[in-house]
Amino acid sequence: MGRSFSELLMARGYALRLSPRGTLPLDTRATVRDVEALRASLLSRPGVAGVAPTLAGNLLIPFGDAGADETVRVFALGIDPDEQGVYELLEGRDPQADLEVVIGGELAAAGLTVGDPIRPRRPGTFAPGRAGDAFRVVGIARFLYASSGERPIAMALSELQRLTDRPDAASFLMVRLRPGVVPVDAAERLRTAYPGVEVASVGELVERAEARLSYFRQLALVLGVVSLFVAVLLVGTLMSVAINERYGGIAALRAIGFPRRSLVKALAGEGLVLCAVAGLIGLGLGLVVAQYLNGVLSDFPGLPLAVRFFVLEPGDLATGYLALLIAGLLATLVPAWRAASLDIAQTLHREEP
Amino acid sequence: MNRSLPVPTAARAPRGEHARGDAASHAGALVRGVVGGTVDYGRRLPAAEAAVAAVDVHRTYRQQASDVQAVRGVSLSVEPGDFLAITGASGSGKSTLLHLLGGLDTPTHGEVFLAGARVRDLSEAELARHRLMKVGFVFQRFHLLSMLSARENVELPLSEAGVPRRERRQRAEWLLERVGLAHRLAHRPGELSGGERQRVAVARALANGPRVLLADEPTGELDRANSAAILELFTSLNADGLALIVATHDMHLAEGAGRCLELVDGRLNG
Repeated sequence: MGRSFSELLMARGYALRLSPRGTLPLDTRATVRDVEALRASLLSRPGVAGVAPTLAGNLLIPFGDAGADETVRVFALGIDPDEQGVYELLEGRDPQADLEVVIGGELAAAGLTVGDPIRPRRPGTFAPGRAGDAFRVVGIARFLYASSGERPIAMALSELQRLTDRPDAASFLMVRLRPGVVPVDAAERLRTAYPGVEVASVGELVERAEARLSYFRQLALVLGVVSLFVAVLLVGTLMSVAINERYGGIAALRAIGFPRRSLVKALAGEGLVLCAVAGLIGLGLGLVVAQYLNGVLSDFPGLPLAVRFFVLEPGDLATGYLALLIAGLLATLVPAWRAASLDIAQTLHREEP
Repeated sequence: MNRSLPVPTAARAPRGEHARGDAASHAGALVRGVVGGTVDYGRRLPAAEAAVAAVDVHRTYRQQASDVQAVRGVSLSVEPGDFLAITGASGSGKSTLLHLLGGLDTPTHGEVFLAGARVRDLSEAELARHRLMKVGFVFQRFHLLSMLSARENVELPLSEAGVPRRERRQRAEWLLERVGLAHRLAHRPGELSGGERQRVAVARALANGPRVLLADEPTGELDRANSAAILELFTSLNADGLALIVATHDMHLAEGAGRCLELVDGRLNG
């Protein structure tokens, strides 16, 4: 999940986020004030290559036939079209002037297309933002942080500030650093320079997100350990049963000259093959379940659809698979050694009629 | 086609000379004659040269707080080319004696010499190697590996002995042909009759060219016709110089052996 979240946050190359003091971006409805002055100040710093102030707010747009009362809620983002980190344009162009918007896939799927008018207004008001004016859809985009069921749109920052009556405010600012600047160091310098805002690098944001999910991590670890323990018991039991049924054959093999070592090796090999096959099936099933859980978790409100909670990490898969093989081998060694150490004569006496 | 088995070419003495079935007559001599691993038979014959020799062997088990004497003072010698049948009622100690003679069990008292070595002198690993290379075992229940073909079963001891893949394949095929199963090479034990399975087991026992073959009730699970076929096979192997010791209830098999000893309550009778 951490890698997926990190990739998402860095998708447009912004390594730092500035948000109101004590909050994380979009954690609350709080805003950063005097954002243009802050932006100018940030841009004057040597390590900063770009600043993208972003304001977020909910708007309503009438939907359906002209004149209908029905409205839908949209999640509006006010951005600087020349410096934004919230969407990737799929069709059309950025909103270069007032009264232009870019819409997300949800609205496009509902029938809106480039050139269509929309009349967004703030919830609780009865008139459109600017009387008589309609916004025009100029582009369709993929919104990077959109969550399930959300209908995002983007317009010029000044337009959203006006529509939501929050002049010179931004929910957060994204900062692009010049090549070679270390994000953590830059974040530290900005914290000192701007004590009134919260500064976080992408790495720190990922850490905080993971800290919030530590409960799930611990749960996953406990489940993993329990699964491994069950695997050891299961493999041990299966191999014990399989080996116990073959005591006669094993004693016969020892009688014809197979040393204990060879038999333990052969039986442990059987256990390994069992684990290897079961492990591959388990990995396949695990991937299917992870895919399903990804879908379920992505539907949670407020969580970006683009974040994958279960990312296929070859290293982790290899470690898990290896752990299973080792556990299986250990579980097999006990019954294998016990069988190979049986008294040959007594076992043959018992097994032969 | 040469049907002789490439068993170790130990000198094969005329059967009559080795027919020392009267255990009582020479047991004392054996006990007296064991000096540094040699046995006095009238002429000095090193015990190590016999295919198998037992000298005053006892085996006592501890069972439910009492001692059970399964074998009591057995002495015998089986030379290369001998075919010895050990008979006796159930519980008379046949299998125990066979296990002692094959180095699968250790006597409580006495000595066993097996294919040139005193069993007591060998470590567990050495004894396993010794059995692998110089002793063949055949069991009543065959104990073939069900997931392997007849040829692969015969290849097993060869593989453990380190015989190269091609050679062991050739040898396994040759052995199976020798026991009349050339047409059953790729069949698994489940696809074979009891008699055929036992012949595969015999071929497996012969894989590394043993000096002696020990069989515990080899016809116990076979019908009359298959028992006769196994006896014929044993007789043929014996004719090639292989020493055979068979523990059996089967009187036809016992009569086919060159020499027969009866065990009564762990003692050799007569």
